[in-house]
Amino acid sequence: MSLVPWCDGRDGMYGFIWRILPGNTWIKALLSIVLVLAVVYVLFQYVFPWAEPLLPFNDVTVDNQ
Amino acid sequence: MAATTDHEEHTDAPASPPAPRRRGGGPVATAVSVLGELLITAGLVLGLFVAYSLWWTNVIADREADKQGDKVRDHWAEDRGPVGLDTKDGIGFLHVPAMKNGEVLVKKGTSTKLLNNGIAGYYTNPVKSALPQDKKGNFSLAAHRDGHGAKFHNIDKLKKGDAIVFETKDDWYVYKVYATLPETSKYNIKALAPVPKESGRTKAGRYITLTTCTPVYTSRYRYVVWGELDRVEKVDADRTPPAELR
Repeated sequence: MSLVPWCDGRDGMYGFIWRILPGNTWIKALLSIVLVLAVVYVLFQYVFPWAEPLLPFNDVTVDNQ
Repeated sequence: MAATTDHEEHTDAPASPPAPRRRGGGPVATAVSVLGELLITAGLVLGLFVAYSLWWTNVIADREADKQGDKVRDHWAEDRGPVGLDTKDGIGFLHVPAMKNGEVLVKKGTSTKLLNNGIAGYYTNPVKSALPQDKKGNFSLAAHRDGHGAKFHNIDKLKKGDAIVFETKDDWYVYKVYATLPETSKYNIKALAPVPKESGRTKAGRYITLTTCTPVYTSRYRYVVWGELDRVEKVDADRTPPAELR
């Protein structure tokens, strides 16, 4: 059982991830931070640069298209 | 990090007091719980996207612009002949005191890829821009309003009479703003014409046109500022800037 009472037996994706992470609470917390940073990295490095041109926020030129 | 929801709490309340709550109270509770987490996740991702657009792109664009600007200045210092023709690295720097954003490297072209490096570009398409040293014509530029260096963010601060100074290897071209168009269609390529009639001018001259998007944070319309050449000063040995920049 998890050592964190407020997370005991909760459902959902984040609860599931917390449960399958190995180690005690501190190791779980550390791994969580690493996972979060990895997700943020992938978003900033790959997903957002891909998505940005598809959104109409940054066209600055006048043209006839 | 476990962002959990409390939806299942009422579903199994009376039966099992403080006993270890087993996960889930049925398919509905599970569905609600998963949906809630997805919504939280979507909110976080959108928040991160805002941070990315308005902050991170500026960080990397400014870094890149500094690097490319330094390269141009190095070339000038090394004196490799007429830089005015060497358009690949950039033709010079734009200084707009009213925008309070230092110097902006200007390169050829206005593709998104280029402008994302935190620079301004002069138009090659749909209307070919003139260059400052040309006898007549319109030197037309575009840069980002937000993100990617946001070099023209403060374009709305420009008023009639404000200076726009373009620095090349050998000359300072001092332009004065004479007309602004706070909102126009993004198809309004007439704004870039050699003689921009919309600005009120009808005779050929040496004009400069700045374009970017407006309102801020969107691209619905375009903001246009026109200036005309006031004078040209030779660059001296110390690169003393003209009075407008001091």
